[in-house]
Amino acid sequence: MRSLVCALLFATAVGGCAGASGPPPEGEPVVVRIWHQKDAAERRFLDDWAAAYNASQDTVVVETLYKETEELRNHYVFAAIGGKGPDLIFGPADNMGTLGITETIRPLDDLVDPDFLAGFSDDGRVTYDGKLYGLADQIGNHLTFVYNPALLPEPPETLDALAALGRTLTRDTDGDGDADQYALVWNYTEPFFFIPFLTSFGGWVMDDAGNPTLDTPETVAAIQYVLDLRDRYGVIPREADYETAKALFRDDYAAATIDGPWSWGGYQDAGVDVQLAPLPLNEQTGLRAQPMAAAKAYSLNPAVPDWKLPAVLGVLQLLTGDAIQAQMARELATIPVRTAVRQSDVMTSSETLTQSLAQIEYSRPMPTAPQMRQIWDAMRGPYQLVMNGQVSAEEGARLMQEQAEKRIADTFLN
Amino acid sequence: MLNAPNDAMGVETATLASAPRRAGLSEAARRRWFLAVLLGPTAVIVLAVVAFPFVYNVAISFSNMNIYTLRDWELIGLDQYAAVFREPAFWSVFLKTIVWTVVCVAFHVGLGVLLAVLLHQSFVKGKSAWRVLLIIPWAVPQYITALTWRGEFNFEFGAVNLLIEGLGGSAISWLSDPFTAFVAAIITNVWLGFPFMMVIALGGLQSIPRELYEAAEVDGASAWTQFRTITAPLLRPVMIPAVTLGTIWTFNNINVVWLVSNGGEPNDQTHILVSYVYEAAF
Repeated sequence: MRSLVCALLFATAVGGCAGASGPPPEGEPVVVRIWHQKDAAERRFLDDWAAAYNASQDTVVVETLYKETEELRNHYVFAAIGGKGPDLIFGPADNMGTLGITETIRPLDDLVDPDFLAGFSDDGRVTYDGKLYGLADQIGNHLTFVYNPALLPEPPETLDALAALGRTLTRDTDGDGDADQYALVWNYTEPFFFIPFLTSFGGWVMDDAGNPTLDTPETVAAIQYVLDLRDRYGVIPREADYETAKALFRDDYAAATIDGPWSWGGYQDAGVDVQLAPLPLNEQTGLRAQPMAAAKAYSLNPAVPDWKLPAVLGVLQLLTGDAIQAQMARELATIPVRTAVRQSDVMTSSETLTQSLAQIEYSRPMPTAPQMRQIWDAMRGPYQLVMNGQVSAEEGARLMQEQAEKRIADTFLN
Repeated sequence: MLNAPNDAMGVETATLASAPRRAGLSEAARRRWFLAVLLGPTAVIVLAVVAFPFVYNVAISFSNMNIYTLRDWELIGLDQYAAVFREPAFWSVFLKTIVWTVVCVAFHVGLGVLLAVLLHQSFVKGKSAWRVLLIIPWAVPQYITALTWRGEFNFEFGAVNLLIEGLGGSAISWLSDPFTAFVAAIITNVWLGFPFMMVIALGGLQSIPRELYEAAEVDGASAWTQFRTITAPLLRPVMIPAVTLGTIWTFNNINVVWLVSNGGEPNDQTHILVSYVYEAAF
């Protein structure tokens, strides 16, 4: 009864979408609907592509609808539960766990041509719980070492070299006893920005079953390293959130920052000669500082009827194929997940693309398990307590683990 | 009234009523039918977009719905509510919300009335300019003010610490300590809220007859006595609705706490109830 009420409610809201009717009359095109959360530039690209595709043939019409990320997920889940919603949903890979558990996306393992699947890099095939749920058209969201060559001619290769920058680049330029320029600045109180340091010491946020793995010597070492960068080596300022970090780097008060693809254009527009470099190597462990990277992928609504499946899968293959990914790389500087495109000369067409790809090669995919949200929330507080000097690095790691386990239990285990 | 030929409503009513009249309905039945036609669509929409979601949400709050049970949840009674009240953080956040509301509203009203009384004095020159200046904090969008204040509370680069150091004091880690971060949020909210109370109080002051003050002066009443016995009692009817609104707005004000403390930092220790719920839900 409840499902029926839900279905009725959402059928009203999203009428005409997947599963709403039978095949179109003879001669009428099949309509394939896509909900997505692409940013403005990518949205224009997708709409142009859809318009060109629709004009090129008369059997399939592609319709797109933009929604903000949270709105997209919430609207989609409720629509799909009611057997409605779009045929394809496009969004970040970390949604896959939630959508997979609620059975609002359909595994693609047996639906997509294996030869086509083989053309994706590992990070382009988005899986959860061993099933293929999404095909990506890009991977990104990765943090990179961003530096201003006027202040820092060569980026540091190792964490030790990074720490040593404090001696030369953190300076009191006006002689008032306080530093006015820093070697490095970034949003170091946010756990997402802590991940590269965690990975460089061999740590990670969760195991394969989605259990948090935060109370480890690796986490302690990574926290201690960031703490030392500030308190021992004077590399970073005493306080810095994202906006402060951005302003300091943009206005030449810091020689380098750690930031993601969404920011590079803004720095260039502000007149900073931005250069990118992979985050440093930890000589002690032999591991690179690896940020999380997230693919953005298309997934299939289980409500798509069999008669419509060939058309929808055809569009899916076009939207994630070599041609469109090469064009996106050229025009939007996105990192492709098709092996052939990644190895092609498209990747050398711009310096930013080349440098960005260099970091992607040293990145780890964002987990698709839904527990990731609870782990982020659990990490944030204790990490900040350590940074504020209220608890030790060991106690911070212990609290992270304790809070993550509690939040996961509260959220998922009623 | 309904049959008045010159009344715009009446013309429509006559048209609508003509059909049932032919079917032989009584006047009362025709009225009921007419009301049903008018209210029906609104009632359906209200039921669909307000009543049903509200009841559905209340039902969910008594259920075990989560990501794994989204399709087959069941009612489990008061367990979820009991869990909320058992949560130690709830009581601490609740207490903080009370402190936040009382302190903010007290400063809003105190500063607002004080400035209004000052602006109401005849010796103050350039009243219009002062009024505009003092209303500016209210006119600027909250999120811009909140983010600007957050920047001003930065330990090394913020104007607040530069000012304190300039006056010979020591810089304060405003945003790193739970107490000072909460104080920073309160300062920001006071800055945003006092102009509203000032505007309301100014309006109230202008409605108090000058003769009362003149009579009090003749009787030798001091300025404080005049304020206590004339201004305060006559302002009360104007200020009570404003204070009620201010209390409701402050109790539910997520913007300032969320933006100044960057989502409850440090360690979720600067939340009030509304930001705590937002953090938990989204």
